[in-house]
Amino acid sequence: MNSPVTSATLRARSEGHAARLPPLLARAEQLAGAVLLGDHGRRRSGMGDDFWQYRPAQVGDSRRMIDHRRSAMGDQQFVREREWQIAQSVMLWCDQGASMRFTSNDDLPTKIDRARVLTLSLAILLNRAGERVGLTGTRLPPRRGNAQITQLAEMLSEDQETEYSPPEHRAMIPNAAAMFASDFLGDIAPVKLALTKAADRGVRGVLLQILDPSEEAFPFHGRTIFESVGGMVRHETLKANDLRDRYLTRLAERKADLQRLCTRTGWQYGLHHTEKSAQTGLLWLYQAMNGGARI
Amino acid sequence: MTILGGIGFGAPWLLVALLALPILWLILRAVPPAPIRRRFPGVALLLGLNDKDTVSDRTPWWLILLRIMAVAAIVIGQAQPVLNPENANPDTSGPKLIVLDGTWAGAIGHIRQLQGIEAELARATSAGQPVAILQLTNPKPLVFLPAATVSASLTGLKPNPWQPSEDNITTAISAITLANAASAVWFSDGLAYEGRDKILATLKPIPDLRVLQGTHQIGGLTPATYVDGAINLSVLRANTQDVQDVTILAQGRDPSGNNATLATATAHFKNGEQTATTAMVLPSELRARVTAFEIQGLRAAGAKTLVDDAFKRREVALISGREGREGLELLSPLHYLNQALEPTADLLTGALTDVLPANPDVIVLADVAILSKAETDGLLEWVDTGGMLLRFAGPRIAASDISRTEEDPLMPVRLRRGGRSVGGTMSWGEPKSVAPFAEASPFFGLKVPADVLVSSQVMAQPDPTLADRVIAQLNDGTPLVTRKTIGQGQVVLFHVTANAEWSTLPFSGLFVKMLDRLAVSSSATSPEAADLSGTVWTPLQVMDGFGTMRDAGTLQGVDGPDLIKADTGPNLLPGIYTSGDRVVARNVLSPDAVLNLAEWPNGISVSGYATEPPRPLGGLLLALALVLLLVDVIASLALSGRLLGKAARGTIAMLALGMITLLPPPANAQNADIDRVSELALAHIITGDKNVDEIAIAGLRGLSDTLFFRTSIEPQEPVSVDLETDELAFFPILYWPITPDQPRPSVEAYAKLNAYLRSGGMILFDTRDSNISGFGSASPNGRKLQDIAKLMDISALEPVPADHVLTRAFYLLQDFPGRHNSREVWVEASPVNAEQAEGMPFRNLNDGVTPVVIGGNDWAGAWAITPSGGPMLPVGRGFGGERQRELANRFGVNLVMHVLTGNYKSDQVHVPALLDRLGQ
Repeated sequence: MNSPVTSATLRARSEGHAARLPPLLARAEQLAGAVLLGDHGRRRSGMGDDFWQYRPAQVGDSRRMIDHRRSAMGDQQFVREREWQIAQSVMLWCDQGASMRFTSNDDLPTKIDRARVLTLSLAILLNRAGERVGLTGTRLPPRRGNAQITQLAEMLSEDQETEYSPPEHRAMIPNAAAMFASDFLGDIAPVKLALTKAADRGVRGVLLQILDPSEEAFPFHGRTIFESVGGMVRHETLKANDLRDRYLTRLAERKADLQRLCTRTGWQYGLHHTEKSAQTGLLWLYQAMNGGARI
Repeated sequence: MTILGGIGFGAPWLLVALLALPILWLILRAVPPAPIRRRFPGVALLLGLNDKDTVSDRTPWWLILLRIMAVAAIVIGQAQPVLNPENANPDTSGPKLIVLDGTWAGAIGHIRQLQGIEAELARATSAGQPVAILQLTNPKPLVFLPAATVSASLTGLKPNPWQPSEDNITTAISAITLANAASAVWFSDGLAYEGRDKILATLKPIPDLRVLQGTHQIGGLTPATYVDGAINLSVLRANTQDVQDVTILAQGRDPSGNNATLATATAHFKNGEQTATTAMVLPSELRARVTAFEIQGLRAAGAKTLVDDAFKRREVALISGREGREGLELLSPLHYLNQALEPTADLLTGALTDVLPANPDVIVLADVAILSKAETDGLLEWVDTGGMLLRFAGPRIAASDISRTEEDPLMPVRLRRGGRSVGGTMSWGEPKSVAPFAEASPFFGLKVPADVLVSSQVMAQPDPTLADRVIAQLNDGTPLVTRKTIGQGQVVLFHVTANAEWSTLPFSGLFVKMLDRLAVSSSATSPEAADLSGTVWTPLQVMDGFGTMRDAGTLQGVDGPDLIKADTGPNLLPGIYTSGDRVVARNVLSPDAVLNLAEWPNGISVSGYATEPPRPLGGLLLALALVLLLVDVIASLALSGRLLGKAARGTIAMLALGMITLLPPPANAQNADIDRVSELALAHIITGDKNVDEIAIAGLRGLSDTLFFRTSIEPQEPVSVDLETDELAFFPILYWPITPDQPRPSVEAYAKLNAYLRSGGMILFDTRDSNISGFGSASPNGRKLQDIAKLMDISALEPVPADHVLTRAFYLLQDFPGRHNSREVWVEASPVNAEQAEGMPFRNLNDGVTPVVIGGNDWAGAWAITPSGGPMLPVGRGFGGERQRELANRFGVNLVMHVLTGNYKSDQVHVPALLDRLGQ
């Protein structure tokens, strides 16, 4: 599983996962005039390409709006209305810090591997549904099309040197949707900052925490020096098994913090373990991204 | 060398280091194990969590114990420990006396005893003591010689088949007193005997007296008796402890005349019992062939009892001339003969012409006067080939003209007409009594009861030969029994009737004894001394201390009573004795013998034969330490969780693989070997001695290579053969190295071997001792070879004649060296009538590959190669040695060629004729 991640293989595997789900219609709760036209029919008349209805011209309708082909069939004048269509913008952030490049067992994928696959699968699904996807920040603004997916895959394949990278919160598009995937084991303050900022702009989304099973179980004994993956942070203990309970308490606290943060900002919080299949993670993402739509 | 608890230490002070072990314990407890580095992203959550307990995880106690044991093993190993250390007494320098019982009981542990003596001699050599050996059964004046000289004569020390006699003990005591030795070692055989305490009293003043006594079980067999159709055997043992089962083998000849084990029986000793009895019921045909009984596994004269003709039931045909008188049982001429012979002989009745083809041992004719021509001729022929014709007179003979004017061929004497009657109602005189037997008579020594009276008899005609033929006569000098020999047989005439009509002789016990002396009957009980008085018995075969039989040669005869009563000694060896036609066996143990353990008074140190060599334990302990440290490595890895890491798993798999390959091959590999032999392979017999077996297989490998390179024989890898389990038929030749302690093959194995030899196989026996003894029983290997080959179907042997085909089967050879270079190699004797071939330097010998080749040159040692192909053992010195090895290889090639091609080369005598026929 730990084959070198190139953009091509990443994309191939992501398309494999994405193929198993119907196109996902991203939730677009709030639509403002600022959003660009897209393929989402809003089931009401408005601006769009598709025909919606003919209605009798009323007072105040500009003459240019009269559809003469229909009106010529009778005495009454009709106006042709079109369905209101928009495309949702979805911004993705996948933690590419060193802490994600970890697995406790050769048979399991690293956390970053799983995060990339899930992120890109989601991107493909969204793209197929006509949404515009991009990365948070300014490197890759949301766009449509296969070229965008290719670029996304390339950018996701990069590694970052930082130990625990904070979520990118700049250049959030108002009222867009977002997805953050990380292990969230680093400092929680940047996460909090990013979420509150996003909430301020009306961005709703999903927070996916990806953990390795050993991070949940802490199966260590004896005198141990724990090192972060990048080797920057270390902690020595004489009795690792004594630390277990306190570590688990801290982990539970961290999860609770994230949960609380999400509730407050209207986001959804999800937890994914690398020993589970990627499909379950994607299924959960699908439902989370789709759930608010209540179509 | 310091000895602690039976283990000697070369550097005992090193053991002080063991005191440091508790300190090691404390140190190991205090120092925490090295930390493990782990990558763990969750470390951010751990920051700031401090250990509650400042002391780290301790090393588990068992790991510390393991390490301490490893260190202790290193310390003790460095202290040069030695098991069974030599504990030489440093301050003995005077002459040393070695006393041996030398009885048959010592034959059981003879080899170990010899090793013990050799060890004593080695000690004496290093101490510079002169040594003398005194054998109590054969005491000689003591001469103290350097130990090295004495050890050269050790092979001559053999146990004797008797206990020390009074004379022996007196001689020994005076010799010991004169010797004035400084130290003495008594090798006791473990049996008590009279006079042993006297010897002990004489030896006691010697300052350094030790007694060595073997711990082996001593068993004996008393003479077998035949009662009520069963052979009763009683087994004695000296040690009464434990329950024990003893197997007794009945040895004899099979129908083709080879030695064989005819039957076995098991005697069971209960705890505390000294005697166990068992019985064998054998058909009379088989019983007659039994020559000896022996205890399985005990090679000693006392554990073997010889059987004379007591078990042989002679076939006696009874024929009388008066058949018609029914109802007069007591007057029947055969009644008393029946009574006398029935217990000890198989009786045949019937017409003479019917009986003759059955070839009985004895034919009794009671008052038969007239015989037809056919009957006479048949009888004559039968007597001529060894039959015994016993005739009784009677009214018919008295009335007939038989042997009147001319001596009848079937009568010992001429008879007068009518006979005579004395002491009857119508005659004068008293009935005559029997005169004492003359010295030349076979009846000499028998007491004549006064109530044996003769009232009628037939009278012999006076003849020049008459005096020689009378073997019993009446008081007045008239013959009572006459005898003449015809060819190998004899005719005996009782001048009275076989019933009580003419005399009271048939009533008396004398009648039975006379029949006994004439070997008409054979007594089932062993003869009493009184029965044999006046006879002289010459030994036929005698037994040595090991129970091995040999021809008596010119040993002098023994008086009858002595044969029964006297103790065995140099002048009365146990064995088979003969007098006239009778055969009596003399055994070591008398029927009422008891085996008692020798008991030693307090204050005398008694120990077993100390033959355990000192064994250094240092290497073993250091190896143990290494193993412990290895275990420690694995255990530490397992504790720290690194054992099952990625790299470690591979290592463990490799280790496991290594262990599997190190495991010994499965037990059935042997059979697999044999299954593989679909082509020619050489083979050797497994002796049980690891070293010898290794050399044998390496030797055969070397010979196989030689054959492969030089000839068109391309043998497979050689095979080791277990006689008991493996099939022999696949191998054209078996190499059989002899070791003194290899077990004798079982009965089934012998059957297999004999079948192998008869079907054309060849066995190469190698005593590996350079024939120093010329196959006598002096060397242990030679003795073992005799012991093994005794039961094998081997015909007469001769040293390899100069024209034997072995000398030219492939190479031209005249001697057959191995590692030793002795000329003596024996093969099957060539037929006596072989003629010199015309124009050829050899005789015209055809057919027949010799079934055995016997030698002692240690051929396998010379053939043996290492796996890399170099010679395994040195042969001789320098170039001469290499030449000898080459000749040994050539002998091997010739031998295999001979086996495979038979006497093909011998057919070369026909080459001139063939060339002639081809017109060349």
